[in-house]
Amino acid sequence: MSEQIREQVSAFLDGELPSTETELLLKRLTRDGELRESFGRYALIGEALRGGGQTLLTKGFASRVNLTIDGEPAPAAATLVPGKAARWWRPFAGVAVVAGVAAVAIVAMQQRYEAPGVAGAGVGAPGAITARAITNAPAAMSAAPVLAANREAISYTVPAAPASAPNAAPSGRLTNYMFAHSKYSYGLAQRGVLADLLINDEDPAVAARPPVQQVPVLVAP
Amino acid sequence: MTHALRPHARAGWLIPCAMVGAVLTSSPVSSWAADDPGQWLEKMNQALANRNYDGTFLHESGGRVETMRIVHRVRAGKVLERLQSLDGPGREFVRDNDELTCYLPDQHTVLVEPRQDRGPFLGALPQFGAKTGEFYRLEALPDVRVLGRTAHVIAVNPKDQYRFGYRLWLDAQTAMPLRTQLCDSHGEVLEQIFFAKLDMPDNIPDSDLTPTVKTDGMRWVRQGPAHEVAASNLSAFRVSELPPGFKLTVEGAQTIGDASEPASHLVYSDGLATVSVFIEAQPGVKPVPPLPPDAPVQGLARVGSGYAFSTVVQGHQVTAVGEVPALTVEFIAHSVKGGADPDPAHR
Repeated sequence: MSEQIREQVSAFLDGELPSTETELLLKRLTRDGELRESFGRYALIGEALRGGGQTLLTKGFASRVNLTIDGEPAPAAATLVPGKAARWWRPFAGVAVVAGVAAVAIVAMQQRYEAPGVAGAGVGAPGAITARAITNAPAAMSAAPVLAANREAISYTVPAAPASAPNAAPSGRLTNYMFAHSKYSYGLAQRGVLADLLINDEDPAVAARPPVQQVPVLVAP
Repeated sequence: MTHALRPHARAGWLIPCAMVGAVLTSSPVSSWAADDPGQWLEKMNQALANRNYDGTFLHESGGRVETMRIVHRVRAGKVLERLQSLDGPGREFVRDNDELTCYLPDQHTVLVEPRQDRGPFLGALPQFGAKTGEFYRLEALPDVRVLGRTAHVIAVNPKDQYRFGYRLWLDAQTAMPLRTQLCDSHGEVLEQIFFAKLDMPDNIPDSDLTPTVKTDGMRWVRQGPAHEVAASNLSAFRVSELPPGFKLTVEGAQTIGDASEPASHLVYSDGLATVSVFIEAQPGVKPVPPLPPDAPVQGLARVGSGYAFSTVVQGHQVTAVGEVPALTVEFIAHSVKGGADPDPAHR
């Protein structure tokens, strides 16, 4: 992502981008997957750093960021101190952002792990910052270009997803259940289901395959 | 009248309103909050159902960000709605009153399904009554600026670990949700959408509601109607014990996959969160390797922003699924009993 686009995204997230440029940025977002990924990442980093503790990142996002920096998921986490972190946020580029990514990754690692098949243990015990996690931030500060360069090379996966349990149902079948369920789930939750179905299904944990094979009646070719 | 919610593209008439507001309040935005959060949620529901809107939003779940467009039009009591993925395979959903059409170009398929649910794609919340209040706590957080607009921030906090919560940023003028988050009981965000652009025009032309997918050569398939009742051996199954606040709300049957007979489908809700329980004589979809044929599935799986838990009860495949924590689907699936077991959920 070029410096100019970074600034545009930053301005947009702060509500300060002129409408003409917003249009262009949106057009660009819809055709540039890498930019979209970065956009989501930066938006969420900003949320986390400015949110005063109200907002943390989603699990998958944190794991991706962590993989980007570290190459493997970190085992433990601690809580971000929003006041300290907020000043890192702007001006958005380079060292500060990468340090922010590391900090956010640590934050959101909290309670991420769930043992496959042990749903009752869905909430892991919060741990302390590990020594390695602490050293991530300064190490990453000198590695901004590496972060960018590695982004494409690393194959992101959500680690330790319960879906990888050996006897878990095939994702297509679960999607069928979810689709049938969506008729009865309430609005915002239903939106999530429909959105999942709209999205490409590269990630088997998301199970976005449409329930095509189950449909009993053919209408017309 | 058009409400343009683009940054720095506010219509001129809005500026006097803002000035009047500033004179009357002369306080920073951050010191204000929605006065009655429950009322604001109701306003949001009304706005989502009754307004015309055309917006582009980002949907983030599990670390993936997708760009989507939503167009919603109400004309003479008729609702027409289109949800379009602007990335990837270009899937589109169109709802025309009671019929949902899913255009899946990557599958060369158009799926048509009757839907009883009349809620908008973007989704509203049920009304907050005293019962819902037993399990969720509404909270008005300080106002913030979103898309250059003042937004009331409302949190719907679950009181225990059996349900997820929401955080909503509602436009102070229109009550449209500019941003929403699904959170667990610790406040960790599981899924969120945020609008990059949102217009609310008086008129939306048909062309904006017409799918762009070329359907030439695609397979059209129509989902059959839902069944009223399942076979008696399946309908005897019930959940014997439920997490606090969950009650049976719907009982029916549903063909899952290519099963020869419909599964029993039980729906349990606390008023906000919903869990479906499916009971089948046999697995509905032909299993994929490495599972042996007809092997029952068991265990926990992540599905979208929710969970599914499968187990086997008295030789039947039981799966609980919903946008709830893993704990909840496992609790419910493990409490399913067949036959003559006592059934406190029905008392």
